[in-house]
Amino acid sequence: MSNQLLSKSFYERMAKLEPRYPTKQALLLPALHAAQDELGWLSPEVLEEVGEYIGIHPAQVREVASFYTMYNLKPVGKYHLKICTNVACCLRGADELVEHCEKKLGIQCGETTQDRKFTLMEEECLGACGTAPAMMLNNDYYENLDMTKLDKLMDSLE
Amino acid sequence: MSNHETLFIQHFSEESRPLEYYLKKMGGYTASKKAFGMSQDDVIGEVKKSNLRGRGGAGFPTGMKWGFIPKQSAKPKYLVCNADESEPGTFKDRDIMRYIPHLLIEGMVIGGYAIGSHQGYIYIRGEYTREAKLLEQAIDEAYQNGYLGKNIQGSGFDFDLTVHRGAGAYICGEETALLNSLEGKRGEPRVKPPFPAQAGAFGGPTIVNNVETLASVPFIVNQGGEWFSKLGKLEKSGGTRLFGVSGHVKKPGLYELPAGGVTLRQLIFDHCGGILGDKKLKAVIPGGSSAPVLTADEIDVVFDIEPLMKIGTMLGSAGVVVVSEDYCVVKLLTRITKFYAHESCGQCTPCREGCQWMEDILERIEHGQGREQDLAMLLDIANNINGRTLCALGDAAAGPVMSFVKKFRADFEAHIRGGKCPNA
Amino acid sequence: MPKCIIDGREIEFTPGETIIQVAERSGIKIPYFCWHPGLSVVAQCRMCAVEVEKMPKLQTACSTAATDGMVVNTKSARTQQNQKSVMEFLLINHPLDCPICDKSGECDLQDNSFGYGDAYSRYTEERRTYVDLDMGPVIKKNMNRCIHCTRCIRFGEEVAGIHEMVALKRGNNTEISTIDGRPLETDYAGNYADICPTGSLTVKDFRFKKRVWYLKKTPTVCEGCSKGCNMEIHQDNNEIYRCVPRENVKINKYWLCDEGRFNFQYIHDTSRSVDPSINKNGVWESTDWGSSIDAAKNALVGKKVTVLVGSDLTQEEAQLLQEFLPKHLPAAEVYHFGTPGVLSAQDDAPADRILKRKSKTANLHGLEKLGFKPFEKLSAGTQSVLVVRGGKAHLPELKNVEMVGIGVFLKDHAQHFSVILPGAAFAEKSGTVVNFEGQEQKFKRAILPPGQCKPLSEILMMWMNRKTASGAA
Repeated sequence: MSNQLLSKSFYERMAKLEPRYPTKQALLLPALHAAQDELGWLSPEVLEEVGEYIGIHPAQVREVASFYTMYNLKPVGKYHLKICTNVACCLRGADELVEHCEKKLGIQCGETTQDRKFTLMEEECLGACGTAPAMMLNNDYYENLDMTKLDKLMDSLE
Repeated sequence: MSNHETLFIQHFSEESRPLEYYLKKMGGYTASKKAFGMSQDDVIGEVKKSNLRGRGGAGFPTGMKWGFIPKQSAKPKYLVCNADESEPGTFKDRDIMRYIPHLLIEGMVIGGYAIGSHQGYIYIRGEYTREAKLLEQAIDEAYQNGYLGKNIQGSGFDFDLTVHRGAGAYICGEETALLNSLEGKRGEPRVKPPFPAQAGAFGGPTIVNNVETLASVPFIVNQGGEWFSKLGKLEKSGGTRLFGVSGHVKKPGLYELPAGGVTLRQLIFDHCGGILGDKKLKAVIPGGSSAPVLTADEIDVVFDIEPLMKIGTMLGSAGVVVVSEDYCVVKLLTRITKFYAHESCGQCTPCREGCQWMEDILERIEHGQGREQDLAMLLDIANNINGRTLCALGDAAAGPVMSFVKKFRADFEAHIRGGKCPNA
Repeated sequence: MPKCIIDGREIEFTPGETIIQVAERSGIKIPYFCWHPGLSVVAQCRMCAVEVEKMPKLQTACSTAATDGMVVNTKSARTQQNQKSVMEFLLINHPLDCPICDKSGECDLQDNSFGYGDAYSRYTEERRTYVDLDMGPVIKKNMNRCIHCTRCIRFGEEVAGIHEMVALKRGNNTEISTIDGRPLETDYAGNYADICPTGSLTVKDFRFKKRVWYLKKTPTVCEGCSKGCNMEIHQDNNEIYRCVPRENVKINKYWLCDEGRFNFQYIHDTSRSVDPSINKNGVWESTDWGSSIDAAKNALVGKKVTVLVGSDLTQEEAQLLQEFLPKHLPAAEVYHFGTPGVLSAQDDAPADRILKRKSKTANLHGLEKLGFKPFEKLSAGTQSVLVVRGGKAHLPELKNVEMVGIGVFLKDHAQHFSVILPGAAFAEKSGTVVNFEGQEQKFKRAILPPGQCKPLSEILMMWMNRKTASGAA
């Protein structure tokens, strides 16, 4: 039994979900979300603990966690910026927004600032095409973006 | 502009979310009550009469799909709502879920009743964090007021509903990949047969329906399949549908119109106010990025499933992306192909290897390092992927490549010969 | 019985069979990578796609059930074009490692490329590469060669019962491996290399030792336990380089456990006794057959003797002893021995959920069928013990008795013996063994016995014909 990195409330949250699925393995995606909500990212040790909870081989947890882009298998900054650059958004200037952020933060897309405050990523279509350009900041959507709005938002983040 | 009946769009605002609004202003939960008084076959019959076709992209007649579920089953049956909405250019299900979640919930209750399922799941894309929470709150409301759970509205019918979040994988919009993801596995599509109606979620008979499809069901039950069918302007396509328009139009956003009620030109120029900056129209992606592109001369087509199929493209998720002369189509196609390469699950050879290969070639062409033989090779690769893969993602990647290169060949050649974008 | 038509041939089939199963057993070759008769169907490689009348798209033969009246064309122009295109896709990232790759000569990718692919490549982009982590002592991984057929993943999950081989990431970057460089846990790791259609997973023990086209292959039966898994010995110049499983749908299907697979190594152990030897104060001295037989007779004739017959011997060898012993050691008590804790056939049971059994000798059930009794302990007053051993039977710890050995012994393990008359190991003789289900299986000799090792029949003949200096027998 590995050291418990996940809190009691994680286990309580999962226990509530258990009766809603016929198999324990179906809880894997919700468990990974819950673990990431708590710890910000999923280290190999956390994945091992999730595997023990579900009752599957640690490799099975890793194969699932590495398939989906929302699971952070590396630490991310306090503010995780995911700017959509897919069709509708790139038609409305998303590429320029990404370039602007790269210059402003001094990092390339995919990287995290030295002070661990910002991680910048390109993202696929977020389903906000009518209000493009759009991005996710942690769990929230920001739409109808332009450079000014983006600057204002980023400057306001502590 | 609404000189026709609309079912959804007038409710797309924050006030519509609470149960009270749904009960008072939308005749909430009367349809399910009515359905409980009908036989399962009669409910399915109404949906068949309605000519409701799957709104996720495949356009399969919903009533027929529900009819595939066997009456008897050793394993429990499941109704799964596909709320993965990740097709680029598509953004309609989001509004249904965040503004009128109870409509979706009731649609699922009726669907569950019709097919004999007591467990429903809403598989919602992971990025819709807020929408998932709002759905869960609405579900709690429904449980607390007896519209979900045991003995719904005294009918004797039990139905449980659970929201299950995805985690960032477009391929999970494919129904069998979605089922694998629901079961806690990698979102990889399955070999068919068996089809989900025989063995789907957890091995049991399963129906997977799009959000908008299920949201249409309460209306069909309350006002009849025939009424719904007549809302649509074409014989095989019933109801209204939500069209999402984005890109270089003056008024991007959602538009609810009768199925087959407009041409693409009318949608873009009459409803969306025409091209941004009054520029010239260059290209239209009609049904999410998987749909083969149309040129400015091809937009007089009636904007529905069969007419679009006839001209070699598809309605898909009705996500229209409009491109004016202001944007380089080579860059656009490169970005689209990059999307498919990124989202490929990697199982089957043509998609796994071919999509990345196409992306690499297009990147070279975009950056002025294209070669004479690249276009022929690109088309050949797309041809070798199309129709040869385990699921439709391969076709979705090949279609845009084939259509863009064929219809805008001059642009690609300009990049290859000139070594840079003439648009820049 | 329903019939389908494949390439113009009408073939009867059992409902439920897929096109590829019908074709395989009818001698019609359809190329494939991801399909394996012992694993689930995934239809991922797309190599087996064939043309089926009335179906607009090509259908993968591995996942399409044959139907009555179905017309299949496995050689049509469309089929062939698809095969070329799949081969092209697989080779765009595959390194040209053939000159240094163990799999060369038995590689599905090579064979299918030669048989169905084009002879040139149009690929000019950069190739995808991986960094390999270790996977333990049995299997060597070379991910650059992988064609993502996922046979290994399915094997781990479905046969070995450990879901340790997984696909990480997705799309073109998918890597298939254990995680974090963890060694494979399963005792069936060798099978990974058998099923891998390329040189991505190879056996470390065999690595770089021999080009496969030099190997002579002999069908045989594994002596590792009483399961009787079917096996093949691959040798060149009387040296065994590896053993691989042989298909037997009833016994071991397509698999071998690692114990059985690598069991052969003791046969070439340098401390194996290959000359007739006499133990002179703890030092083994090689001598001639005559002297050693004399020494053996000295130790056994006229004494109170127990004869221990290894259950790793064949039925033929055991029957020889049944004829020989009453005449030449008439008062001897005769027992069979083999595995500690598994005295008789009744004690034999499965040792895991896959193949292994508790009896670590192959012929326990055969010897009991012949009437041999299990050895428990020496009777009081026993002076000498004759141990006749095929190679794997576990030597019991016996004290205060003189020990003579006929058969296969490693000198280091037989320090307390006084004479060894070296015999043939299982790979060096032909014979019959009986497995746990009573199944009689014959196997043929694969290599010659080394040194002066002789078959048991010859040793017993020499004993019978040996006269002492005085002329007495």
